[in-house]
Amino acid sequence: MNFFFFHLMPWPYLPPPREFLREHEAAWVTLSNAEYDPVRGAALYERYINELAGAEALGFDGIVVNEHHQNAYGIMPSPNLIAAALSQRTERIRICVLGNALPLYNPPVRVAEEFAMLDAMTHGRLIAGLVVGGGPEYYSYNINPTEARGRFREAVDLVVRAWTEPGPFSFDGEWYHLPYVNPWPRPLQQPHPPVWIPGLGSPSTIDFCAERGFGYMGVAYYAPPETFARQASRYWEAVERSGRPAVPENLGWLTTVYVGDTDEEARAEALPHLAYFAGNLAAGFVGQGKVWMPPGYIDAEALVQFLDDLRASADRRRDGPAALFQAYPMVGSVETVRERLLEFVLRHRIGTVLALLSFGSLPADLAQRSAERYAREVVPWVRERAAAAFAASATPSVELP
Amino acid sequence: MSVEVVDGRQVTVTRAGTGPPLLYLHGLADVHSALPPEPPTPLLDGLATGAEVVAPALPGYAGSDPLAPRSDVEDCTFHLADLLGALRLDRVDVVGASLGGWLAAELALRHPTRIRRLVLVAPLGLDVPDARGELFFGAAAPRGVGGLGEVRGVLFADPDGAVALETLPDDLPHDRALRWFGGLAGAAALGWTAPQLCNPKLGGRLARIGAPTLLVWGGRDRVVPVAQAETWRTGLPEARLEVVDGAGHALGLEDPARVGAMVQAFLH
Repeated sequence: MNFFFFHLMPWPYLPPPREFLREHEAAWVTLSNAEYDPVRGAALYERYINELAGAEALGFDGIVVNEHHQNAYGIMPSPNLIAAALSQRTERIRICVLGNALPLYNPPVRVAEEFAMLDAMTHGRLIAGLVVGGGPEYYSYNINPTEARGRFREAVDLVVRAWTEPGPFSFDGEWYHLPYVNPWPRPLQQPHPPVWIPGLGSPSTIDFCAERGFGYMGVAYYAPPETFARQASRYWEAVERSGRPAVPENLGWLTTVYVGDTDEEARAEALPHLAYFAGNLAAGFVGQGKVWMPPGYIDAEALVQFLDDLRASADRRRDGPAALFQAYPMVGSVETVRERLLEFVLRHRIGTVLALLSFGSLPADLAQRSAERYAREVVPWVRERAAAAFAASATPSVELP
Repeated sequence: MSVEVVDGRQVTVTRAGTGPPLLYLHGLADVHSALPPEPPTPLLDGLATGAEVVAPALPGYAGSDPLAPRSDVEDCTFHLADLLGALRLDRVDVVGASLGGWLAAELALRHPTRIRRLVLVAPLGLDVPDARGELFFGAAAPRGVGGLGEVRGVLFADPDGAVALETLPDDLPHDRALRWFGGLAGAAALGWTAPQLCNPKLGGRLARIGAPTLLVWGGRDRVVPVAQAETWRTGLPEARLEVVDGAGHALGLEDPARVGAMVQAFLH
């Protein structure tokens, strides 16, 4: 059972959601970087790197960083730089870059090279995340979204071959033609670091992960519980078809966690910062405002479904803050978060919990206190029970709720 | 509507009228995009008096298969030439609007003998650095809640008028939303990469278009500003320009009677 501390490095200094959405269409693509304050930014990098490095002493199994460009959602266009800094601040904890957006690199051999460097610099603690990149990045980087999936799949093959096949070799794909693939260094972990791929639920991504033995990290912001249930059952069914062993750690789930003294106190403390994440930072991506989800990035059916889901979640928000807590964020007292997390983990056989513990505009002191409670009082309790349950049933039993 | 198969790909085709053949290549907001599948637009009905109008849905639109991965505007032009062959249309008049205007120009310069007369209605395709329009794909990104006002604003002179709201209502029904976003992907496959929706080489090739050409433009076009028209007119060997003052980019929907009359007068 893996418990990872996931950081998006959010920009916390925008006006509150209602005011923000009156003046701006999104936190992505077009939100002017005049809103970014370099002095505050420098202090934030220090705070966020300290939070991630501190996860080791708290007993987390891993820390997670990710790549997004030109937005206030996260000031981490190069997660590899943060991972490199963390490699020198930590000794034991796994470092997961989830991930590098392959179609944004040309040639994607660059990703094979940098991940091999990080694997060496962490003495084999790297988990290599490979991602398609968010829809908004296809606007920001002027990459044709109708090429996203083709480029991604081919680049995954290229990266894995670059790690495992003695060079130089020539790569002749549909999208990439490279006469000399021969990266120095090669990864320390052999044959290569674990590969994880995050997804919003696309069936083809889930099947691809299962077939290739890659971890699938499900992201279902604000979606009802059935959304992740569908992803989990699809993943385990595909693993079974592939004939590979069902490793629980290969199914991950991203959630937001806030642990307080009591349920009421936790909700009151977390609410404005969850609302800031949902109302400000997700605007333009998976939230309100303009949806920078380009045509052809997902097929029209999936895009229309995505917009329907957004409308449904907006309707739920109108029901007030209770709806925000209904399913997705793990917010409450130690007892509440323990029980809800264990129930979800067992029901979907989730072996990797990726927890956003420093989210939205959550101040440093609250983030620290909640992360300590989660690490010391929730994680060991859930770990013990989940490990016993997974050991008792060697094959996954997946049920829909 | 019928389905043709060209080089193994399905192509949705709308037909109307009888007479000499007229190939109509649709635009970003037009027949085959967000409008319901039937009936044809008033503009097509107008053109069908005195011609056999053949209006294929471009790749990705309205059930037409997308082209193979990595295809560009040249492949799409080959595809249209193959379609003419499959339909046994040796020599046609071509009316192309918006995206279809770009493709009509690409077709005309490569197949000069197959095109009798050419009409380009607010054509995309030319990079005119001094007169670039709004970034269409940015405008086409919908609001998560509340719809398509921004893209109506760049396509129509009056984004709150009846024609704009009928074409692209905020609560686009499911089947029409699929047509709309599927079509956008078809357009993105050809023209996403900046400079958007154009072929930088087209300007230097305009002199190869032998067919007499009518340019029709909306005076309030925000996708391809009317200031681009002069570059077309001077680059084409034989062209004249008609401007519909109050119309926007989707002028074939906004003022079908005037656009239709201009086209008919030029063709017949």
